[in-house]
Amino acid sequence: MAKHETPLLDQLESGPWPSFVSDLKQEAAARAKNEKNIEYQVPVDVVEDLLGVLELSFKDGTTHWKHGGIVGVFGYGGGVIGRYCDQPETFPGVAHFHTMRVNQPAGKFYKTDFLKNLCDLWEFRGSGLTNMHGSTGDIVLLGTTTPQLEEIFYELTHKYNQDLGGSGSNLRTPADCIGQARCEYACYDTQDLCHTLTQEYQDELHRPAFPYKFKFKFDGCPNCCVASIARSDMSFIGTWKDDIRIDQDAVKGYVNGDFKPNAGAHAGRDWGAFDIQKEVIDLCPTECMKYEDGKLAINNKECTRCMHCINVMPRALRPGKETGCSILVGAKAPILDGAQMGSLLVPFVEVNKENDYEAIKEVIEAVWDWWMEEGKNRERLGELMKRQGFQKLLEATGIKPVPQHVQEPRHNPYIFWKEEEVEGGWDRDINEFRKHHKR
Amino acid sequence: MAFISSGYNPDKPMEDRITDIGPQHFENFYPEVIKKNKGKWLYHDILKPGVLVHVSETGDEVYTVRAGGARLMTVTHIREICEIADKHCDGHLRFTTRNNIEFMVDSKDKVDPLIKDLESRKFDGGSLKFPVGGTGAGISNIVHTQGWIHCHTPATDASGPVKAAMDEVFSDFQNMRLPAHLRISLACCLNMCGAVHCSDIAILGYHRKPPMVDNAYLDKMCEVPLAIASCPTAALKPKKVELEDGNTVNSIAVNRDRCMFCGNCYTMCPSLPLADKEGDGIVLMVGGKVSNRVSAPKFSKVVVSFIPNETPRWPSMTDQIKNIIEAYASDARKYERLGEWAERIGWERFFSKTGLEFTHHLIDDFRDPAYYTWRQTTNFKF
Amino acid sequence: MELEEAKEKIVEALNKKAKTKSKFYFNDLSKILELKPREAKKLISKLVEDEVLVYWSSGSTTMYGLKGAGKQAAAEHED
Repeated sequence: MAKHETPLLDQLESGPWPSFVSDLKQEAAARAKNEKNIEYQVPVDVVEDLLGVLELSFKDGTTHWKHGGIVGVFGYGGGVIGRYCDQPETFPGVAHFHTMRVNQPAGKFYKTDFLKNLCDLWEFRGSGLTNMHGSTGDIVLLGTTTPQLEEIFYELTHKYNQDLGGSGSNLRTPADCIGQARCEYACYDTQDLCHTLTQEYQDELHRPAFPYKFKFKFDGCPNCCVASIARSDMSFIGTWKDDIRIDQDAVKGYVNGDFKPNAGAHAGRDWGAFDIQKEVIDLCPTECMKYEDGKLAINNKECTRCMHCINVMPRALRPGKETGCSILVGAKAPILDGAQMGSLLVPFVEVNKENDYEAIKEVIEAVWDWWMEEGKNRERLGELMKRQGFQKLLEATGIKPVPQHVQEPRHNPYIFWKEEEVEGGWDRDINEFRKHHKR
Repeated sequence: MAFISSGYNPDKPMEDRITDIGPQHFENFYPEVIKKNKGKWLYHDILKPGVLVHVSETGDEVYTVRAGGARLMTVTHIREICEIADKHCDGHLRFTTRNNIEFMVDSKDKVDPLIKDLESRKFDGGSLKFPVGGTGAGISNIVHTQGWIHCHTPATDASGPVKAAMDEVFSDFQNMRLPAHLRISLACCLNMCGAVHCSDIAILGYHRKPPMVDNAYLDKMCEVPLAIASCPTAALKPKKVELEDGNTVNSIAVNRDRCMFCGNCYTMCPSLPLADKEGDGIVLMVGGKVSNRVSAPKFSKVVVSFIPNETPRWPSMTDQIKNIIEAYASDARKYERLGEWAERIGWERFFSKTGLEFTHHLIDDFRDPAYYTWRQTTNFKF
Repeated sequence: MELEEAKEKIVEALNKKAKTKSKFYFNDLSKILELKPREAKKLISKLVEDEVLVYWSSGSTTMYGLKGAGKQAAAEHED
């Protein structure tokens, strides 16, 4: 028998898509039953009460959570989000319902023993509810009480060799795409770069000293499956400098209909026979391809590596071999002055494991030094770039301006010349001037 | 409920403390076939919706079966995922950025038993536990935020509208009939901790009423300077207020016309609540993308200014979403993303083809970027 | 700068403002110490470890305050 009636939520149990309500109910029942005789460290009816308070929100159209300023475990300034229910008498099981962010492994691959351990720990010391995963990438453990935070952290670090993720004015938990682990498009090892930088910058991740949040994301190619270009202050997108590799026989295979275009992604509709002219050549944004006499030719010098042709004919075309990444900076969601896409800062840098990604770290640290000194409170990197200008960012990072940095040159001529850039400097003798110009 | 210590000593927090160890190394978790073929993959094929094969230069193949899941999941459910992975995948699995679960096997004969197993599992309420799909030119899982489950400033729920929307577009999760893939995302307030601003369709919670001021308690619960500093539009200022009992207290005045309904002040000061049943609801934004394919990444644009929160299934919202998807599916060219389609036909045509009403709320009037969204040409369609 | 000196400066400056507010951004603290952010961070992190300062988080932003100071600390008191 359920503790609270949930007639509205019950209506979300039908339909084909996995119902979180059904899942919550099965967890509530499992806790009530407690077959394994677990000495639950948070109220046994925590899930029942969560269903109850959610039903109330469905009824009155408003949330019933209050923010709490609690930040984390001792010495950490992030990793925990404090939550209190504003109806604690009715729903005592969720009166205190804090979230913990657990740093996910790069690529989000798991072995079941790791997940089972995490489940045992979270069932014992928390609500048993999770997000797999949060938007930033963390494993999110939803709902525990303050005294359990240190206990959970202790067990995570001592038993499971596992640390918390970031929140607040920290480096947020970095995240990556599947990369070379299982994708032929990946131009560098996203997992290794993501993991290495996460380990390198643990202090930045746990002890907030930034003006605001800072996100790294790693995409293996310009398809951007983790959306790094739209939502990370620093986005590392795989790319290449040399020629797209062509297998002419496989091109013919696509033309002859032996292979489905786009790896079969369009198989749900009859789009007619594959037409390489219409579907590849004519859609190339730089018009740098032609198909003549049964041969595909690419003028690679003009290619901007948009991935379309490679996506359409993955058996025939592959990125080049001289690979690395582009670094774009300053992406953010709209608040406040509007959304910002990442802006290209480093057109190409090699992603070199051998020297511990030195070239990349140099850029990161130069950007941080600038932002930490110049950034206002709660100002994202992209906003600082807008306020002080792209030139300041180039100065701070010692990167030489190139046409690749802009979509087009400036529209206004208001160039703020510096004195040292102007021949003879700015100090002049007015009397000398007056010799030739009467008052 | 006796407290059981982990071994942590609260009197000496630094004793035996382990910190800054980061996540586990990813290689601990790779399936054998991934470990062996990393960086050697040649190409892939989508065998059917939700099922991929990747072929390596070593001749090895990995078959991936992708299953949808609510990102809000319980340990009972995760254990069931583990049971499946133990049974079919040597105890390995992964999650995608869009909250799907991927089960990988190293030979084709293992695929059908795995799919059969996944599709046979249902919740007591009747929904599928592991629907297979989410690949290619279809609709993958909706990424979303916390909503009423856990957030203090949401203007809508997250898990509820997502379940409602996925039920409605479910056939496109298991089909690949669209001109290109279509990504739906939900953020439950404009702060967008879910960064939905570059999605083909973004569902966004939005408040429409400025915060109330709990004058009698504000000075007891909040620090006025911090609350004032939290407002991004400088709509708050300090104010002395005389209460009914004659006492004068420090409080805050809200310049209501400047309020953008972000709720940042409520985060700093619980005496400034803004949630409201009539005020809160959903904005729909469309046409964003993050890939660099063919055209540059794009932001989503607001095309429906407000839809009320109709619990438990948000029917007006799901109707509008389906309507937009159908207009796109029937009119766009192969490979064309929703935003590319809208730009090719023109936004005026987007509104005529979708039948959505164009209102003054859809014209940008916020600061400098607004100008760049107005039309500065005589080229337009009637 | 020595830790003791940093502690004195921070405690004095924060106490001075205690009447109006109890939470401060990292930048406010590095300005009090008149140090570059990276230098300031080492001392400030130590002061957190020594339980002089505590963190406060809005979820998206983190602030610092003297341990036990502020109204919300009391409002969130858990008993």
